[in-house]
Amino acid sequence: MKPRRATKLMAELPSSATGDIAFNLIVFFLVCASVQPDKGHRQTLPRSETQNEQTPKIENIEVTLTRTAAMIDGEVVEPRKFVPKLTALLVGKVRPGDRVVVVKSKPEVPYHHWIKYTTLIDEAGGVITVLREEEEEVRVP
Amino acid sequence: MGDIAFNLLIFFVILARANDDSFLQWEPAAVKTVKPAGESRASVVIDSKNRLFLNGQETHLGDLADGIREALGNAPPGKRTVLLKVHNETQAVRFEPVIEAISEAGGDMVHILEKERM
Repeated sequence: MKPRRATKLMAELPSSATGDIAFNLIVFFLVCASVQPDKGHRQTLPRSETQNEQTPKIENIEVTLTRTAAMIDGEVVEPRKFVPKLTALLVGKVRPGDRVVVVKSKPEVPYHHWIKYTTLIDEAGGVITVLREEEEEVRVP
Repeated sequence: MGDIAFNLLIFFVILARANDDSFLQWEPAAVKTVKPAGESRASVVIDSKNRLFLNGQETHLGDLADGIREALGNAPPGKRTVLLKVHNETQAVRFEPVIEAISEAGGDMVHILEKERM
């Protein structure tokens, strides 16, 4: 009697779905990469109001920003000393109205500089108020 | 069947979450710490060409406060988030009036920033 020969099956994996799977994977990773949640810094500013020149001013801390520097009440302060100095000035001020820090910026101040210092004011516990000089359009007849 | 369901799912996820202003070009400023902005009602962008957009539509400064008010509707406090995306080199003369308009419209402003790289 002849011994039975073992039959070898040459089974191929079905490749028809490979394209679909690849497409779905690409879409999945694209979505994961592109839909990232926005992150940032929440900032609460008091509602804007026009201040009359004659209105008596309450003494608040004033931060002036130039293109490259920052001043607290007219004195240039290094970035690393900014928070300690501001914190010291705010000591003992409990009411939010007393913790107001008026931020005045030169027109050419870039946003990255402005956000850096306003974030530091928040860190020191100040309440930011942006002071902007109104530009009035005067028509000459 | 599974493929179709999966693609539909992804399609609706994109529709629900993608921002209308994703085509705009701007570079965020970097700070030490950032927090998730959460759900927002409106998004204001000043792009790298100094153009102003509200929810992906180009607008003028004079119309911004009214546009934000309309977008926020009668949303209660805490649900009036407005995302502010400003190109990092934009000058104060351009972005401060925008901040003022958001404040005037009663929006809770969140500056969209990136974390500083060490």
